Amino acid sequence: MTPERGLGKIEVSPRAIASLASEAVLRCYGVVGMAPSTVRDGIAEVLQVENCHRGVQVRAENSQVLIDLYVVIEYGVRISEVAQNVMDSVKFAVERALGMPVAEVNVHVQGVHISAES
Amino acid sequence: MSIQVPMSSEAKPLDQVVAEEARCTQVDSVNLLAALRAACDWFELHRDAVNALNVFPVPDGDTGTNMLLTMRAAVAEVNGEAPPTVAEVMRLTSQGALMGARGNSGVILSQILRGLARGAEGKAVWTAQDLAHAFHEAAVTAYKGVMRPVEGTILTVIREAAEAAERANAQDATIVELLQQIHAEARSSLARTPELLPVLKTAGVVDAGGQGLVFLIEGTLKYARGERMQMEHRQSIVEHANAELLDSDYNYDTQFIVQGTDLDVETIRERIATMGDSVLVVGNPETVKVHVHCDHPGEALEYGISLGRVTSVIIENMRAQYEEFVASHQAPAAFAAAAAPDEQASSISIVAVAPGDGLKRVFESLGASYVVPGGQTMNPSTQDLLSAIERVPRDQVILLPNNKNIILAAQQAKAYSTKRVEVVGTRSVPQGIAALMALNYQSGLEENSAAMAEHCTDVQTIEITRAVRTVQVNGLSVQEGQFIGLLNGDLVAADDSSQAVITSILERIGIENIEILTLYYGEDVTRAEAEALAKVLSEAYPTLSIEIIPGGQPHYHYIISAE
Repeated sequence: MTPERGLGKIEVSPRAIASLASEAVLRCYGVVGMAPSTVRDGIAEVLQVENCHRGVQVRAENSQVLIDLYVVIEYGVRISEVAQNVMDSVKFAVERALGMPVAEVNVHVQGVHISAES
Repeated sequence: MSIQVPMSSEAKPLDQVVAEEARCTQVDSVNLLAALRAACDWFELHRDAVNALNVFPVPDGDTGTNMLLTMRAAVAEVNGEAPPTVAEVMRLTSQGALMGARGNSGVILSQILRGLARGAEGKAVWTAQDLAHAFHEAAVTAYKGVMRPVEGTILTVIREAAEAAERANAQDATIVELLQQIHAEARSSLARTPELLPVLKTAGVVDAGGQGLVFLIEGTLKYARGERMQMEHRQSIVEHANAELLDSDYNYDTQFIVQGTDLDVETIRERIATMGDSVLVVGNPETVKVHVHCDHPGEALEYGISLGRVTSVIIENMRAQYEEFVASHQAPAAFAAAAAPDEQASSISIVAVAPGDGLKRVFESLGASYVVPGGQTMNPSTQDLLSAIERVPRDQVILLPNNKNIILAAQQAKAYSTKRVEVVGTRSVPQGIAALMALNYQSGLEENSAAMAEHCTDVQTIEITRAVRTVQVNGLSVQEGQFIGLLNGDLVAADDSSQAVITSILERIGIENIEILTLYYGEDVTRAEAEALAKVLSEAYPTLSIEIIPGGQPHYHYIISAE
């Protein structure tokens, strides 16, 4: 990704953007984890916090950023609302840090986590 | 720790129940349901105040609406009479909240109710001890929903309130005493949220979700104390009005109730969804409530009639409603009431003068209660300013004239008004905006006007317009039709292009003294032109951060704030 700013080039790697995005996701209410983006066969392993960037895919098209997020959601929350909030928060956080427009944030709910009764 | 308490024999008349409540040590299902409804009603009275607090993560101003809709969906799940046990009341309300959760705050609220429901499992009635335990469950459940809890939000408020409940419980409190402790702690916890979350501190507000929770607890406490609410509980679970309608593409808000037999809610919902958006279809096989935003209310009604008996029809033109809503929008005042723990200190309304729709929106979004249209070529009269001062909701008013020719009229309006008015002598729109940035709803009128007067001179104002006649001034020879540039009100540059004028003024100020340049472009300029100008400027001055905002002001091609 290369935001334009005069003098020289600033390069931000997709990996850095992924970390940025995953950090924002983890603060979103209702999300209890992220799943690796490569697992598509339904076995959603939950990523360790430090590996959460692996639950994010970042692409650039026409100097716009497209983000795919693979998340695990707490059982019992309204998924549509949580997903909407994830989209808003990630778009906001990435745009603020990067100064580049985020064209798309897609949320893939890979699993639902049922926390133990206390 | 299940405690067996005898079930209340039967529902008592409400007055009697309320009277007994004061010395009561347990809550039965009838009281619990009434308390939840009271909380919802109390919240409704303060919805706008909560909306006005919204700053995180994107300022969108709908936390109050979202929480209200969620809470209404929760209490509406219990149709009519209360079920026999508190467990059942809480199970239903938590289910209703889950299904009806709206927005982030609504989702968190639904988890709080779910936690309370967990604390109610197996209980016919709640003792004070049970209630304290239920609050503990609510906090625990709420925190389970997120990996990195953000402190300084509704989460902090429910956790600290639950801790207060446990402390009070240790002292053998009655239900009312317990709720008082919970409420007191929730309020102080709310007041501390700006210390925990910098974005709140910057905006000078408390957390909106936390404030919402405080209102819900407050409503419950009021009920428990026997204070009767001024309003009837509305059976309607849907929203009629305003703020949420911003994003609707449809013209008519249509609502009705269908009564029949074997009504299928799902089928009705699907059919209604083909007619418009914001579809809400709820009910049971005998009664279904329908709400939809559509362009042809007749179509929805015809369909309803084909199903059964249609009653309680409400059709409203949302566009008209929205315009009214915008005109009477008094969020900042409500904002103030909600934000400050001390109600005295916060009752300030802002009246600003600004030309153009775009600038009006800018001032409103920054908290002005009323924007009087006006500027260089259209000075509002003292009477205009006076009536603006009289129509804003608060008795303490700060007036921002935003033009040197209006300051005098503003002073006169101050002299004539019966309200306490302070005029901050802002001489330009950028100064007015800078002044508003310094507003702190927690401070008093004098402090605020002093702070605003101090900060409004932090910015340099550049105004670009066309010369209406050929003239010699300040050693400049200006041809009619040329672009001229004013720096803080003084004519300092003239040239054939607006860009050359701006560049010359920026050099005059000294580019090293400027970090941020905000361009409010006027009605004679297209967005593309403004963007092209911004591009040229940012190439010429790479250190500048340039923002362009539609100002919509007449005559002035650009009003520029340099800071």
